[in-house]
Parts: sequence; C-alpha cells; structure tokens
Amino acid sequence: MITVALDSAGAVAAGEWIRAASPTHPSLIDVHYEVALRYNMVNVPTAVWIDEQGRIVRPNEVAFADNRWIEYTKFDMTRYAAAIRNWVANGPDSVYILKPGERRSRLPLPTAEHALAAAHFRLAEHLHETGHAEAAVPFFKAAQRLRPESWCYKRQAWALTDAETHYGTSFQKEVKALGGRPYYTPLSFPEEKAQP
Amino acid sequence: MNVTILCGAAATTIPEAGIEGESLWLAPDNLARATGWEWKPEGLCRGSACVPVPRGNAAREWVRETGRGLSVSLTQLARHLGQPVVASPEHGVWAVGEAAEDVAERLRSLEAPDFTLPDVVGRLHSLTDYRSRKVFLLAWASW
Repeated sequence: MITVALDSAGAVAAGEWIRAASPTHPSLIDVHYEVALRYNMVNVPTAVWIDEQGRIVRPNEVAFADNRWIEYTKFDMTRYAAAIRNWVANGPDSVYILKPGERRSRLPLPTAEHALAAAHFRLAEHLHETGHAEAAVPFFKAAQRLRPESWCYKRQAWALTDAETHYGTSFQKEVKALGGRPYYTPLSFPEEKAQP
Repeated sequence: MNVTILCGAAATTIPEAGIEGESLWLAPDNLARATGWEWKPEGLCRGSACVPVPRGNAAREWVRETGRGLSVSLTQLARHLGQPVVASPEHGVWAVGEAAEDVAERLRSLEAPDFTLPDVVGRLHSLTDYRSRKVFLLAWASW
C-alpha cells in the first residue's frame, strides 16, 4: 500500500495524521496534487489498484477501511476490504480485476477544460503559498468553475481560508446542494461469489 | 521584475522576461531552465521531441530579436503543445499546465503514471520503486 496525502499545506496539515497512524507503508505527501492530476482524481479517498507490472487493474474509485462514512459511500466497505484480500490471494484471477476494456471505460480522462482548471489551481496554490492568499481566491474559484465535480479543488481552497467569507459556502451546504445525487461515484462491484 | 514559471511541481524564477499582457517572452536559456524546451537549429526541442518554428511572418509569434538577444514566446509554445497557460502578471507568476491529451494518452495505456513524492521526513519514493509488487494506491487528504 502507498498512501498519498493531497494537501497544499504539506506536512503541516498531513503530518500529524501520518505520525499518529505510524504507518509501515510509504505514506507520501503531494503538495501540488501531482497524483490527482496524473490519475485525474477529483475526490478523496480515491484508490487505484496497480499490478506487479505497473498496470492499472482497477482505476479510480472510492475506498474506505470501514463503514463510518457509509452515508456518503452508500456501500458496505467491508466488502471492499475483502476484495483487496481476494486480489492479494488470487492476483490476476481475482474476480475484482477488470478486463482492459472495462478499465479504460472506467478511467476518467481529462478534457482541455479540466487541464485549464488544473493550471488555475496550481497558480492559486502558489499565490497562497507565497503570501498572496486574497489574490489566490479568484484562481481557486476559476478552477472550481471549470471543474465543478472536483471536490479536491473546492475543499482544498476552503481549508486554506475561511470558506464562508471567501467562497460564501461550506462543505455541509455543498453536500446539501447535491440534492440526493451521490457524493462519490457509486462503486461498481461484481456480485458476491465464492472464489478459492 | 522577476517572473516565476510553474511547470508541474517545479517553480522556476527568471530574473528577466518580456511581458505583454499574459504573453511571456523568455531568453532561450531561461526557457530551457523553466520548461526543458531548448532552442536548436531544428526548432524547439525537449528530449527527442522537436517543434519546428515557422518561418516568415508567422515566426514573429514565436521568436524575436531584442536588444539583449533572442526571445522566445513561452505562451505560443504552450498553445502549440495544447498546454494551458494561466497568469497573474501582477504577481509575476505564470502556470503552464499539462496538455489534457498527454494525460489522457498515458491513462489510456493503462500504465500507472509514475510519481516521486516525499514522505513525512522528506525521503523520496517513486511508484516505480515498488514494481514487481502489487500496489494499492490510496489518495487521501487532511481537509
């Protein structure tokens, strides 16, 4: 397992969580959202399964260790943990390994507008980091407008400042505005079946 | 005025640049330092990839002679490569993003994009360090 903290504030924000967990796996910090950009991620937690040859065998999907956020995931995450164990035991024969065509169809691919959003976000976080927090706000807003489905762009910007003052919103308000639409893309899992 | 160019995770500060609105003109050595694209007789090149620079009137959008020597348009190069450019001229910062098609092409290959990032004590790890092992990659955040 490799974990990556998407956090513009770096170790200042993510460090205490990592130290408290004392992980035995590599627990990395991604200040500039490089992983989010390359894998085209829009929310956390997002998992990707990568095989021994470095190939994606299950693309971006929500993954929690337990059911404490089931209100948001609408999925029994104990099934997810069992699926990972199944993959470890069965490798490419695991029922959870997707065929290449399905992997590609599930992979979200960025558009030119998404790339423009990412450039706005990069500029915004740099301005914030270099002491121009007010000047960063319009660029964060532009990134959010260009890619409204990205919770990363929203929640990171809100976390760096006062969301109500600068963005006139909050996480709770935005979730409410979903009006029943899912917060996470629903997980697509095969039906349970016995596998040795 | 110093100009900072954000290209991927890198931030390169250039002591001198030509600014026209949101267009940015750089001396070839500064362009190479900020982006890796080098001015060569065959055009602008990075690694084995070369972009031929048009000749005649069209060349004026790409390259010009100034009192201090040659100047190349970073904005024009990025536009040609499909890379978005976002600027805050007031703060002297230009962000050059990745072209959507480049990111998409890598993902379509199903080859997991590599990255190199620090852990909490600053030690660097690359995804490729873990080749030959299954990797469960999980992105999270403190926010």
